[in-house]
Amino acid sequence: MKGIMVIKKKSDWPFLLPAMIVVAVMTQIPFLLTIVYSTLRWNLSRPDLRIKFNGFKNYSYFLKIEDIRHIPEFYSILWQTILITVSVLVICTFVGFLLSLLLDHRLPGINIARTLILGPFFVMSTASGVIWKTTILNTTFGWYGVIADFLGFSPVDLISYYPLLVIIFLFVWQWMPFFVLVILAGLQGIPSHLVDSMKIDGVNWYQSTFLIKLPLIRNHMQVAVMLGLIFIIKEFGLILVTTAGGPGTRSYTLPYAVYMQVFNASNVGRAGALATMTVILTLIVVNLLYKSIKKSGAMYE
Amino acid sequence: MNIKRKMRKSGLTIIIFTIAIIYFFPILYMFMSGFKTEAQAVRPALFFMPTLKTFGKVLGDRNMFGYLKNSVIQVSVGTSISLLLGIPAAFALAFGQFRKKETNDRVYLWFITTILLPPVAVIIPLYTSFQKLSLIGTPWGLMIVYVGFHVPIVVWMLHSFFSDMPLEILEAADLDGCSRLKQLVHIAMPLVKTGIIASGLLVAVFIWNEFFLGFNLTGNTTATLPVYMARFREQQGQFIAQLSASSAIAILPAIILGWMTQKSLVKGLTMGAVKG
Repeated sequence: MKGIMVIKKKSDWPFLLPAMIVVAVMTQIPFLLTIVYSTLRWNLSRPDLRIKFNGFKNYSYFLKIEDIRHIPEFYSILWQTILITVSVLVICTFVGFLLSLLLDHRLPGINIARTLILGPFFVMSTASGVIWKTTILNTTFGWYGVIADFLGFSPVDLISYYPLLVIIFLFVWQWMPFFVLVILAGLQGIPSHLVDSMKIDGVNWYQSTFLIKLPLIRNHMQVAVMLGLIFIIKEFGLILVTTAGGPGTRSYTLPYAVYMQVFNASNVGRAGALATMTVILTLIVVNLLYKSIKKSGAMYE
Repeated sequence: MNIKRKMRKSGLTIIIFTIAIIYFFPILYMFMSGFKTEAQAVRPALFFMPTLKTFGKVLGDRNMFGYLKNSVIQVSVGTSISLLLGIPAAFALAFGQFRKKETNDRVYLWFITTILLPPVAVIIPLYTSFQKLSLIGTPWGLMIVYVGFHVPIVVWMLHSFFSDMPLEILEAADLDGCSRLKQLVHIAMPLVKTGIIASGLLVAVFIWNEFFLGFNLTGNTTATLPVYMARFREQQGQFIAQLSASSAIAILPAIILGWMTQKSLVKGLTMGAVKG
């Protein structure tokens, strides 16, 4: 009896607490401080102005539409962020799925092909941005220029003419391998007797792919989309080294705008407001996605 | 029939390899350009006389060496501390006993939600306090932030590995009077070795490649390789060979580690997510 009591009373907090404290101090407390800062008038480059509480003024600076002809920049940045994130997610999921189907064949050397396609996922974003910018997309020193010469047209500077397209393309290049990694694992987890019986039943490609395989790997698709979203929404380095948000603010995203508010405008209060809104939006989007995934899951079952 | 099948197979192989090589080409070409001289690198070309001069120059550069050293410190110490804190936490969440039964699930969920928090949410207070405490000039500030951001990933991945373990083994050890710490070190950890290695390597790759926090929370003497790479952004066409050689050195460790862990990486990611 006594022995059981001892086991029941045993508490394993010492194993848990150190990790919780570090995580809380480095992530949660700074986030709470960010919310506090967002209500302050605080400019690092103006130490003469005292830091003071100014309510929701930082938020209204970004959100308030006083005149319909001058819509604040925040809305276009928000739109760009959504456009980039959604396009990248959709392309990565769709093309990633098709690519995984291709890579799911048993062929000689297929592991080498898989490994090559996985490569870009492990490359640091600043390096991939700089490589693409100088050795591929540059109109005189890059392959784009050489190919344009060969085909006989004069290359336009893609980065300044189509900044959003370039960013979406580079994000896709960097993140699709991750989708392939997860989706391919799902495809390979499909029991081989199912694949064999599909062949015997004479199911056509469309049916076997979209009606049988796709529902079977639903879990893997969800993981890819959820984690992909979390990763993509915070990407920053690739934008900084390629378009630097430009021209103007045409390729800003919310994380990039926060960075510019702190480190260029030195406006801690406004940056705090922007960061808080970014986090809230991220949580809303992740939540919505999670719910819609749950719903579609219920439909299948 | 057989010939048709073989044709189809080789056609498929060609298509797949063409896609794979085009996809990988920017990285491949970067490695190649590292073996060029600056004069050779100005005009894109696939065939050239390779030279080791550029790599030698980059590796001999004290600047580059400093960034490399900073990155190695962040990755080795940061990953070790993340594992040191994350392993016991994941273990306690899977098997630990607390006064309230729902504690395990609640704390686990709390760790998961911190993964959702983007770095922009924390950068402002960290930056202002780092300035005040003059942590910008030391590697320790950034390192503890990295630990805070990566412990949840270790917990998340390892939780699923621990949960796969048969509970009976631990119960038997419990009856034998084996302490929790001994159970973890001598029984549980050897059983989930692959999971520990996978999560450690994943965290190492993440820290090696991390840019946003590293860029904003370091000074000249503490900056890491991704920050160094970003400094090449202003150059148009100059030093392409040097840029390529530096990038090659910067990305090679992560690519190799990544390729090594891909199998267990998928297992950890999908298991954690399906159960969570």
